[in-house]
Amino acid sequence: MFPTPYVNCDYNKVYEPSEDSFLLLDVLESEQDALRTMFRNKLGVVCEIGCGSGIVTTFMMQNKIPSTDAVYIPVDISPWALEATMDTAKRNGCSAQYLTPVRANLTAGLKKNEVDVLVFNPPYVPNETIPEMPLDDKNEDDWLDLALLGGNDGMVVTRKLLDGLQDILSSHGVAYVLFCARNWPEKVQEYMQIKGWNAQLIEKRKAGWEVLSVYKFWR
Amino acid sequence: MKFLTTNFLTCSVKECDRSNNSFPLHYKGEACQLEQDEGIEFNPEFLLRVIDRVEWDAVVSVAKDLGNSTLPQQKPVFENEELSEEDMIVLRDLHVLLIQTNIVEGEMTCRNCGHIYYIKNSIPNLLLPPHLA
Repeated sequence: MFPTPYVNCDYNKVYEPSEDSFLLLDVLESEQDALRTMFRNKLGVVCEIGCGSGIVTTFMMQNKIPSTDAVYIPVDISPWALEATMDTAKRNGCSAQYLTPVRANLTAGLKKNEVDVLVFNPPYVPNETIPEMPLDDKNEDDWLDLALLGGNDGMVVTRKLLDGLQDILSSHGVAYVLFCARNWPEKVQEYMQIKGWNAQLIEKRKAGWEVLSVYKFWR
Repeated sequence: MKFLTTNFLTCSVKECDRSNNSFPLHYKGEACQLEQDEGIEFNPEFLLRVIDRVEWDAVVSVAKDLGNSTLPQQKPVFENEELSEEDMIVLRDLHVLLIQTNIVEGEMTCRNCGHIYYIKNSIPNLLLPPHLA
C-alpha cells in the first residue's frame, strides 16, 4: 500500500481529507497498472477538479499515476484550496514535478478535450440549494459549504460535470468520480451508458453512515 | 503558472467556445512577471512527449507575447531515436521555456470577447464575474 501524503492545512477553510478522499486514493492505487499501460509513451494531462487540500493530486504525483510523464493541473474555485494544494505538494517532496494549480469553476477555462485523467470528489451531500460563491474571504465556513453541498440529490454539480464530459476528456481520457448512496450512482451509471459512455464501479465502501463509491467513465 | 499550462487554458466564457480566437489567450507582455524555476530536471523523454502533445502555433504565439520571437514556425521534429547533439540543444531550450518558465504575475486577455484574466502568485484565475458566468 502506498503511503498517504502528509497534509497540514487550515481545516476551517479547506475540506479535511476524510473517508471519501482515502477511497479515491485506494481507487487510484488499484488503477495504477491499467493507467500505466494506457499512457505508455504518452504525456498524461491530469486534472483533479475540486482539489481541496491537494491530497489526491499529491498522491498521484508521488506515485507517478498515471505515468512518469504527466503534468498536473488541479482546479478549485477556492483560493484557499489552491494554496493548500501547492503546500501539500511541497511538503511531500513533489516540487520537482510539473504542477500548475488553476482557479476556475469546474472545467470552464480548460481547453477542450485535453484532459487524460480527470478525478472529481464533488460536493455530493444532498441539500436544498447549492451555496453561492462567497464574495469575500471573511466567512470561512462558506468556502467549506461550497466543497460539500451538492443541491437536491447532491448531484447538481456532478451532473454538470458529467454532462460536459465529452468536451473535457481527450479521446482516450478517463474520469474517476465519487458518489454517495443518496446520489443514486447506479442510475447515473445507467444514464451515462445510455449516452454512450463506459461506466464501471471501481470500488464501494461503507464509511460511517455513508456508502461511498467511485465510478470510472470512458469512451 | 508554468508556460506549458498556457497550452491548456482558454476563455471561460461559454460563447467563446465556438470562436477560433479564444485560444491561446493573449498574454500582456509588460504586465507579466516571469521567473525561472529550476526545480524540475531536464528529461529529454518527458520533453519529447510534451512536444508531441502541444499545439505548436499556440506555443509560438504565447512566447511572442512574452517577448521571445526566436521559436521556429514549425514544430521541431526528432526523426532518429538516437538524439543528436543538436536535438539535445533544441530540447534543452524548450525545457527552459515550457517547463522552467513560470508566469508569477500577469494578465491574459481573450482575443474574442476581450475579457481579462489575472495571474497572481503563479495561479491563473479563470473565474468569471457573476454576470458572465
